[in-house]
Amino acid sequence: MTRTISLGLRFGLWLVMAGCIWGAFFYAWSDPAFIGQSSRILFFHVPMAWTSFVAYFAAAVWSARYLWGGRRMRHDRAAAAAVECGVLFGVLATITGSLWARIEWGAYWNWDPRQTSIVVVLLFYGAYLALRSAMADREIRARISSVYALIALVVTPFFYFIVPRITESLHPEPVINAERKLDVDPRMFQVLIASALTYTVLFFWMHNLRARSQALVDATLDDPS
Amino acid sequence: MPSPASIWVASARAVFTKDWRCELRSRYALNAIALFAVTTLVVTSAALGPAGTNKTLAINVLPAMLWLILLFAAAAGLPRAFVHEEESHTAIALRLAAPPSALFVGKLAFGVSLLLGIEALVAPLYLAVMSLEVASPGQLVIALVAGGYGLAVGSVLIAALASQARGRSTLFSVLAFPVLMPLLLIAIELTRNAVAGDPAGVALPQLLLYDGSVTIAGLMLFPAVWNP
Repeated sequence: MTRTISLGLRFGLWLVMAGCIWGAFFYAWSDPAFIGQSSRILFFHVPMAWTSFVAYFAAAVWSARYLWGGRRMRHDRAAAAAVECGVLFGVLATITGSLWARIEWGAYWNWDPRQTSIVVVLLFYGAYLALRSAMADREIRARISSVYALIALVVTPFFYFIVPRITESLHPEPVINAERKLDVDPRMFQVLIASALTYTVLFFWMHNLRARSQALVDATLDDPS
Repeated sequence: MPSPASIWVASARAVFTKDWRCELRSRYALNAIALFAVTTLVVTSAALGPAGTNKTLAINVLPAMLWLILLFAAAAGLPRAFVHEEESHTAIALRLAAPPSALFVGKLAFGVSLLLGIEALVAPLYLAVMSLEVASPGQLVIALVAGGYGLAVGSVLIAALASQARGRSTLFSVLAFPVLMPLLLIAIELTRNAVAGDPAGVALPQLLLYDGSVTIAGLMLFPAVWNP
């Protein structure tokens, strides 16, 4: 019974994902303010960046639950899996962003404050993964890397909110901008929201698979027979 | 019976004096930081000459170079704060002797005083060899003190994490760079304003916000790093 439900959910996710891709190319308009059809990358780039943000936040929540919620290893595995997925989505957001920058700004990379921010945030979580691999003892690794994920929660807001304001950015305003008004076509908005939600669900599915496979690895290491 | 607060203050002060006493006996961090800072200073100066006479260079390049020198000097000496406790197996005695937050504050006071001392040595030398005229010296001092504090608090917290892992010294740079990057960008901006004579603007409150939030994060998270 549960197998049927889970199969149905996965099939539903694939269908919605396909619907989002179809909508990005055939349902939403292309924004005339940008060169050619380049604005369509919005429906992939923004959800990826958003999902990486969700993943890092989820990693911090699981790390805090590990430290102050009874030190359960499954919380540490969940935090690590969230960071791994977050780095994946962050790299994809960087690649899609620089493809768009090549068309719109003329260069793949020009150290726009947004580009600086995403690279340093990726370095942050790359360092998290390096830190994990430098510790063999599972308890120490869980404790120290949880602390590092929480330091990230304190420092990364500086990249999202402050560094882009020190120097001028060419990056388009976030969809929900400072004036809290929605200046985007309704069709584009529908596809964007649907896509962001689908990517978030995709993240939780991938995260669940990764955390479960790591639990099996840990169990095998504990009892190799 | 002394109050818990006075015991806490006494422990923090004891850690601070112990660290300075050990430091003055071995002079490991002092020598490493001071020589590192002076060597990079000589290299920069030899490569650029008295660059401060060129206004564009003075505003665009020299503040960033100053903070890079300070960053690498801090990275050369501050990780030692916790690594030598692990290497000489005194970490267990420290765990018994002082509450974690007092230990963190003591180590932090040591790191801050060390770094501010180095800044007092390096910054005037740097201004002199680069012939750099600073339009608002008071603002430069504020940038050095607030930025130096931020550099110390970030480094001490990361040093505590890195001392628990293998490959401590390499790992320290990898872990510390993303944490210290926003601080450096803001401190460079503030120093630039001081050199150009512009008002400090939002950079000063941002720098103080960074210092405050990393200090609070350190006080909250350090017990989890220190106590198994």
